[in-house]
Amino acid sequence: MDTPPTAAGVGARVRRKEDERLLRGRGRFVGDIAMPGMLELAFVRSPVAHARIRGFEIPEEHRDAVFTWADMAAAGIRPIRAVSGLPGFKVSEQPALADGKVRFVGEPVAVCVAATRAEAEDIAAQIFVDVDELPVNTDMLEAVKPGAPKVHEHWADNVFLETNVGGSIADVAATAPIKVSRSIRTARQCMVPMEGKGVLAHWDRQAEQIVLTASTQLPHIVRAGLAECLGIEQGLVRVIAPDVGGGFGWKGLLQPEEVVAAWLAMKLDRPIRWTEDRREHLVAAANCREHHYEITAYADERGKLLGLEADAWVDAGSYSVYPFSACLEAAQVGSILPGPYDFQNYRCRTFSVATNKPPIVPYRGVARTGVCFAMEQMIDAVAEAVGREPWEVRAENLVPPEKMPFDNITKKHFDSGDYPESVRQAVAAIGLEGWRARQTQGEPDGRMIGVGFATYCEQAAHGTAVYHGWGIPMVPGHEQAQARVTPDGGLELRVGVQSHGQGMETTFAQVAHEVLGIPIAKIKLVHGDTGLTPYSTGTWGSRSMVMAGGAVATASRQIAERLRKIGAHLLQARVEDTVLRGGAVHAGAASVSIKEIAHTWYRAPQLLPADVDRGGLELTAGYKPKSDHGTFSYATHAVAVAVDPDLGTVEILDYVVVEDAGTMVNPMVVDGQICGGVAQGIGTALYERVPYDETGQPLSSTFADYLIPGFTEVPHVRIIHMVTPSPYTEFGVKGIGEGGAIAPPAALCNAINDALRPLGARVTSSPMTPDAILSAIAEAGR
Amino acid sequence: MTKTITLTINGRRVTAQVSPRTHLADFLREQQLLTGTHLGCEHGVCGACTLLIDGQPARSCITYAVACDGRAVTTVEGLDADPTAAELRDAFSAEHGLQCGFCTPGMLVAARDVVLRKPDADDRQIRVEMSGNLCRCTGYVGIVNAIRRVLDARKTNAG
Amino acid sequence: MKAALFDYERPDGLDGALALLSRDDLSVRPVAGSQSLGPMLNLRLVQPDLLVDVSRLPELTGIRRDGDHLVIGASVTHARLEDGDYPDVTGGALARVAAGIAYRPVRNRGTIGGSLAHADPAADWVSALTAMGASVVLAGPAGRRTVPMDGFILGVFETALQPGEVIAEVRVPAFSPAARWGYYKVCRKTGEFSHATGAVLLDPPRGVARAVIGAVSGPPLVIDDPAVFTDPARRDAVAADRLATSSIAGDPAAIRTHMVALARAIAQVNP
Repeated sequence: MDTPPTAAGVGARVRRKEDERLLRGRGRFVGDIAMPGMLELAFVRSPVAHARIRGFEIPEEHRDAVFTWADMAAAGIRPIRAVSGLPGFKVSEQPALADGKVRFVGEPVAVCVAATRAEAEDIAAQIFVDVDELPVNTDMLEAVKPGAPKVHEHWADNVFLETNVGGSIADVAATAPIKVSRSIRTARQCMVPMEGKGVLAHWDRQAEQIVLTASTQLPHIVRAGLAECLGIEQGLVRVIAPDVGGGFGWKGLLQPEEVVAAWLAMKLDRPIRWTEDRREHLVAAANCREHHYEITAYADERGKLLGLEADAWVDAGSYSVYPFSACLEAAQVGSILPGPYDFQNYRCRTFSVATNKPPIVPYRGVARTGVCFAMEQMIDAVAEAVGREPWEVRAENLVPPEKMPFDNITKKHFDSGDYPESVRQAVAAIGLEGWRARQTQGEPDGRMIGVGFATYCEQAAHGTAVYHGWGIPMVPGHEQAQARVTPDGGLELRVGVQSHGQGMETTFAQVAHEVLGIPIAKIKLVHGDTGLTPYSTGTWGSRSMVMAGGAVATASRQIAERLRKIGAHLLQARVEDTVLRGGAVHAGAASVSIKEIAHTWYRAPQLLPADVDRGGLELTAGYKPKSDHGTFSYATHAVAVAVDPDLGTVEILDYVVVEDAGTMVNPMVVDGQICGGVAQGIGTALYERVPYDETGQPLSSTFADYLIPGFTEVPHVRIIHMVTPSPYTEFGVKGIGEGGAIAPPAALCNAINDALRPLGARVTSSPMTPDAILSAIAEAGR
Repeated sequence: MTKTITLTINGRRVTAQVSPRTHLADFLREQQLLTGTHLGCEHGVCGACTLLIDGQPARSCITYAVACDGRAVTTVEGLDADPTAAELRDAFSAEHGLQCGFCTPGMLVAARDVVLRKPDADDRQIRVEMSGNLCRCTGYVGIVNAIRRVLDARKTNAG
Repeated sequence: MKAALFDYERPDGLDGALALLSRDDLSVRPVAGSQSLGPMLNLRLVQPDLLVDVSRLPELTGIRRDGDHLVIGASVTHARLEDGDYPDVTGGALARVAAGIAYRPVRNRGTIGGSLAHADPAADWVSALTAMGASVVLAGPAGRRTVPMDGFILGVFETALQPGEVIAEVRVPAFSPAARWGYYKVCRKTGEFSHATGAVLLDPPRGVARAVIGAVSGPPLVIDDPAVFTDPARRDAVAADRLATSSIAGDPAAIRTHMVALARAIAQVNP
């Protein structure tokens, strides 16, 4: 590094630049933007889970305000196609409005246009969709059986993709002294960013582009997908993400509604706005997390893992979403189920199953939350079978620090860290001994104490090879950043990722400040606009700080070189005798500020050296970590709970996270990501589920039925950082955006089962609701 | 089917035509261009749309504009000069009590009410009093810390 | 999620409101704070032609002492009852119940009469006022009538209100100084609607020993039996017996949860 860390550079707990506008209600979200002549959309959505559409009854006076797929198809609009190159993948096509058949409740079947949303809803309420109902797949395990109704008629079965990882473990199975099996399930959920999805589409007559202002995490990818569907060149499409009110994955796809809005804006030559309301979200975006595992672990008498085998099903819903496809989640299960553990025998078969539910979208943690839930239950199951403390068995099976870097059974390259130490620190921090003593004593109110642990490692900032392997419409390569020194000595950064709460306007400024010394107040980040930023696959997979942050550092270093060259000339010094420090180029005792150098380039070019870089103080630089395997952050979560055996309720008494994010650019932001992730994980663990009835109707469509954790349901999470810089990235950073949401269901499940053990009861599925816990207790009592 | 209402919005007297079905948040956002009030659920649970009616926090998504005739409405934009809100803004930033910022206007209005109405609240009481506002980003820790910071500072200054 | 079109009137007095409410050419609904009705309107679950705003009617917004009763206007907000600026007769029970309703911003607008008229069995006032032995005064085209709470709630969203009638007042009998109040509701989240409610009032000087099991998908179950306060076996037997013929009869887990709620409410009055 050219400059020592400063109070605003890498590692500083800097207040966010974003805060001021957001705290004054002056943010700019899609729904805040109106344009002259703007029309609003309301979608007519399928009331049934599976049916043929016989026709529509549209009142004559609204004929001009209602559109169906027939109108779009006539205009040459193409369905959304998200194909995976993995062998055997079955292709689904998703028309933006249903084409003769509906496959889930909430699927858009027609769209109504009016001056206000309320009036558009008035029209929608008068549209009658005449349907012939078909048999329904509501359960993925039933959907794979012979004779199940087919979601896509031309397929041989309802499986998007089957994968097989590992080899035979028959030898281990025959000889292992310990064998434990479990059936484990996670529920279908909604991601619930507080801002729903939103889009405002208009035709920019001057630029001759369709401009989609959308709450998206991946503007460049949406641009590509939208151009494909509209059948136009990508140069005719611009996607802009304004302030985005949370994403978590839900805003990481091309949505049918976006295609409809863009098409109508072109067709009607009017700005078109759609904002997803909460009921639409809870019904049509019930799209994540639903896994089922049949899993067996083999171990020796001390609990050392000898092998693992599993069949895993993921309910992928009805269509393949763009760009991640219907198989990403299940296929990932196969490659990451072994978790952070070191063992030699593994077999996993996975199925991405098509059902009559909304298409699966990767949610924060993606497959890891389910995988961790399964694997960490197995560690506790092995520990129980050998009569040892689960944390001991866990620590002994984790990859030890002396083996780092380590290639695991599925060829994941763990970069660094001390996984067992995270367990030991979690044991100490939660105060396990104290809880064990309290368990022995018993609680005066009859509640039962339990302590649970869960450890994971998270591959973040995925590389090129793995995504090339998936063969989906998006492969991350080099990430780029643009840097421009402004004539007054400030800095503009342009990145293709998108910040929707992660604070990148601040943290990327910290990175540039670290290199250049320009005050972060004078550093402006431009992001989330295909017209203004370099191409990027966007913000997903805990990648932005590693990838785009690395690109910002790289661009800043190259800018520094150009500044030094001009500075050396102005100082009458040799370039190699100069340093850039504290926002100025120094040569001995003399110095010239970046501001003066910028002034020279822009306003006094007659003073420039003859050999100056003609690219000036503006450049684009690309970056990839030294390893293509991404980074591996890891953590152990420890939780103490009190379970009320009469009501089945769970109170979280303490929650500790011991984690290793490598170098933290802004520890305050890292803590915020972890706490937020834990809250979502608690939702997955204890509250969140979209139940379906036998006809495929979702039974939760408001926040009265679909519970997300509030202030009193989330504890004051305590965080302990272990800092092992990644050997492969700028500054040693690791991706951490998703990690918090991975371990809570596993840790809570283990804690609840620790509490219930005296009753002989056990839960293995999430959410662990009062009903689930009471029925487990009742089952044990039988 | 419109009605004429006259109300005070952020200290300004406003007369407007509203459809009775237009809720207060839509009226403020679409007709008054005050987009700081956000809509997160439109059925009264999430709290993103919380603002002040006659000084008391209220849900603007399930309160109809027509019912606010004669009332004084204060949105987050109207709290710029409010000293309690200023303390909270500073504390929210210092404690990282916001990420995406979508729930934040409602959070500030609710937090201001807690500071004024429950000056002796402990952390548990802060959480109970704030439980009508949902956040999906922060895990609430930063928000609780921010309110704690303001309450503590007020006690120190008073003592 | 926008409400269907409706019209709105805000008459100055109760008589004007009653005149509007008795129109039979329109579907008319009274509205006060709109905290229960608002979500249903936005979700288009109800689509009235006309809302009559009773929230500011002077006849409905007062709280007064009337002999051995506290008389609460139907349009009094939960927040006002929570804050306690009235001559309380319940030893703080009203404030305690009010403070547990939903969230403060909802309590600032939502009213006691609105909650009762909405008649969600899980609502706090439905169970609590039944246990307190309260009654409601209904005003209608034919004048006023008083209906005890035990008899006002007839089912899920179903009350004794006749067309054209509106709740005017709630009359709460004064507790004796010796009275003990117990209230326990089972919620997974703060402010959530109750899954099971126990509400009990033990007031020996007045001869009151009333236990109520609420949030049962129907009217609250009233048990007037002093023995349930002293004899856990009898408490469970009586509760199980009543629940077995209630609307949740087929759901053993729910029955058990309601029995626990009752037991815990009773535990609060039996130190």
